[in-house]
Amino acid sequence: MTKDILVLGGGIAGIQSSLDLAEMGFKVHLVESLPSIGGKMAQLDKTFPTNDCAI
Amino acid sequence: MLDVGRHPNIKLLAYSELERLEGDAGNFTATIRRKARYVDEDKCTGCGACAQVCPTPVLDLYNEGHAERKAIYSWFAQGIPSTHAIDPDHCRVLNGKKCGICQKKCEAGAIDFDQTDVIIDLPVAAVVVATGYDVFDPSRMPEYRYNQLDNVITAMEFERFLSASGPTAGHIYRPSDRKVTATIAELEKKVKKSQKALDRFEKTHGKKSDEFYAAYTDGSLKPGEDLEKDQDKWAKRVEAHLENANPLAVLKEKAKGFTTAKKIAFIQCVGSRDLRFYPFCSGYCCMHSIKEAIIAHEHDNDTHTVIFGMDIRAVGKGFEEYKIRGGNNSNISYKRSRVAEITRNPDECPVLIYEDTREQKIQRQAFDLVVLATACGPVKGAQKIADTLGIDLDRFGFFKTDPSNPLDTSRDGIYVCGCAHSPMDIPESVAQASSAAARAAQTVIKKNDQKAS
Repeated sequence: MTKDILVLGGGIAGIQSSLDLAEMGFKVHLVESLPSIGGKMAQLDKTFPTNDCAI
Repeated sequence: MLDVGRHPNIKLLAYSELERLEGDAGNFTATIRRKARYVDEDKCTGCGACAQVCPTPVLDLYNEGHAERKAIYSWFAQGIPSTHAIDPDHCRVLNGKKCGICQKKCEAGAIDFDQTDVIIDLPVAAVVVATGYDVFDPSRMPEYRYNQLDNVITAMEFERFLSASGPTAGHIYRPSDRKVTATIAELEKKVKKSQKALDRFEKTHGKKSDEFYAAYTDGSLKPGEDLEKDQDKWAKRVEAHLENANPLAVLKEKAKGFTTAKKIAFIQCVGSRDLRFYPFCSGYCCMHSIKEAIIAHEHDNDTHTVIFGMDIRAVGKGFEEYKIRGGNNSNISYKRSRVAEITRNPDECPVLIYEDTREQKIQRQAFDLVVLATACGPVKGAQKIADTLGIDLDRFGFFKTDPSNPLDTSRDGIYVCGCAHSPMDIPESVAQASSAAARAAQTVIKKNDQKAS
């Protein structure tokens, strides 16, 4: 029986889920429809409330 | 992002889509279509030499259409994976024309025009849906004239303008001014070319083109054998030259007055809290606008910003303080109002017509630039994703969940997080993503234990 997990979407939520699951020891397949992951957050310059760089 | 690319437990399937999901929790089979990139992932080093030589410009959607990329491209410079992809809609070779320059340039030999989509089946035990959201299309609100007025832009477009890696390298040049600058560049090219032709005549006849043309038009041209032969041709060339040179001079004069945008208005709740579109609050736009106003002020201390909204919803850790700091230090004023309409004055400045609810007066105010804080809506194709996964949508088009199990969809073993769930900001998305990961892990462990016992 498989223990792999599928994550759909490579935005900030998908990335965080994948990393958490991978750290727990599960194999993760992260599917993203665009050529690169990052989603909307990768388009942002800075994030609130700390004005940290988004990427 | 980099960690995802490097983690041994994560298999990154970028440029791929889910086609089918069969089976039950603990025992799903996911069918994935890996779309053809026409670039070999194992060979491509992401150097970008192909994109430099590609002759086909395409509007860059990562920069919200304010810049151009090539038909062979990486989605953005720091993208993971860095493998380039060929846009099948625009590539000359893939549309039956002659080209293939990128293939010749690629030292790694990674470009393969014969690549096809690959379908793979993956056994998986649980699914986390994090398909995100789409920004509301403000052209659905005719009163804001988003399509007609160049200097009315969305918050995401403004974000790209603010970015050092964006189309204006972080300077807030107004889109209308950028259009003029682009036209000037185009005209300059043409004028340079036509000037060359005139230079040849001038050299042969030892006369300036404007002197010749003035004499030619008022009929005072002295007869001369060489000139007679050439005069009609030369005059035509002068006319063609002036056709571009005259408007160029006018535009150049106009461009002298161009500065970056100093007076910026933000309009809140564009598409959200509006019964015509989305009745719900998008949650993050108030803070997003304040952040953009603070950063615009950091770039240029002369920037003044007015945020027009029904109220400022600064709900979250440190958010209210951030709002007050913006007001105190970054020339931001908050105006409780609802903007009824945007028109334009002759110098391309958008004019806001709004009711100031404190003064109880209808006001008009001109700005250099207007930013629409567009709502967060369900992703296009949410219905298709829901059908593929066999889960339900709620009445607004987000994935349906149960209030007592907020991350569980209507199908066992499938969990949802982030803006696919409902509008939320980044910290909330991250927290929810970790929760969804925990729920998925629970399912996998439980199902495996059941099987073992």
